[in-house]
Amino acid sequence: MSRLALGRLAAAARPRATRGQLVAAVLCAALGFGLAVQVRSNQVAGLSTLSQSDLVRILDDVSQRTARLQAEARDLEDTRAAVTGGASGSRAALQEARARTRTLGILAGTVPATGPGIEFTITDPKNHVHADVLLDALEELRDAGAEAVEISSVGGEQVRVVVSTHLVDAAGGIQVDGTLLHSPYHFLVIGDPRTLAAALDIPGGVLDVLHQEGATGMVAQQDSLTITSLRPAPRPQYARPAPASGR
Amino acid sequence: MIAAVGLVLGIVAGLIYEPTVPTWLQPYLPIAVVAALDAVFGGMRALLDGIFDDKVFVVSFVANVVVAALVVYLGDQLGVGAQLSTGVVVVLGIRIFSNAAAIRRHLFSA
Repeated sequence: MSRLALGRLAAAARPRATRGQLVAAVLCAALGFGLAVQVRSNQVAGLSTLSQSDLVRILDDVSQRTARLQAEARDLEDTRAAVTGGASGSRAALQEARARTRTLGILAGTVPATGPGIEFTITDPKNHVHADVLLDALEELRDAGAEAVEISSVGGEQVRVVVSTHLVDAAGGIQVDGTLLHSPYHFLVIGDPRTLAAALDIPGGVLDVLHQEGATGMVAQQDSLTITSLRPAPRPQYARPAPASGR
Repeated sequence: MIAAVGLVLGIVAGLIYEPTVPTWLQPYLPIAVVAALDAVFGGMRALLDGIFDDKVFVVSFVANVVVAALVVYLGDQLGVGAQLSTGVVVVLGIRIFSNAAAIRRHLFSA
């Protein structure tokens, strides 16, 4: 530090109460005051110190960003709706298709069936019961609401009865869909047990006919029985599902 | 010496009272403060040069503040207030730096 500068500083530092010095002091005080106030207000308020044009620019930026984000949010909501809607729709369709498959499988005999029903046993020691009697019995059971039927020889082969089932007289028994069954014939029928039993027991009905032929029919109502015999699903060679009408 | 005391007193008063800056003054106060700072540095430099004069200091201080505020006001009216404020601050900043350099040369001979 130069001696000259030191001397000048020392001279200036000596208090002299001239009017000019006092005015300078007042101005310096004003500067300090303004400095402190400005710094403080800058720290406190963020937006209130900005000029009008700055505020307009900021507002513009914010509103633009808002619009952009809103558009983005709309897009995302659309996507979400599409995704969830598609998922639940396909799930519902899948469920319905499964339910329909089960129902059709029971009707077509391609899946096992279980439920309440009756066991119906025909014992025919004189071999007088012919296919028409069994067919009558089957029709009677169908009228009474039989949903799944199986015919078997007791301890022998089992045949799931479906729409296309045919019965033919044969030597020593009856052929059901090409399978030879012989007495005693054993029916497993799923449906309302009381209705089925009553249908067989009506006057002049199946049981009466069997009695006239010298055979006996035994009906046992069951809370639960299971039909396990299946038949392969036929694959249509010519027929194809027609498109739904109106499309 | 009295000026330094006044500066400290002003800062303390501003910190204590914390007055709210009136809206009409808000664009001008920062520029005015920078202009006043420039005047003070100029005064320091003149002091070390040995040519300090109370009257010159007062006049330059007031003139600096008024002109700076006037320029910003004019800029606001013309719609270029922000840019002009930046320009004023840049010019005053350069002056402050050159004054500070002169002071440094006096004090540290470098």
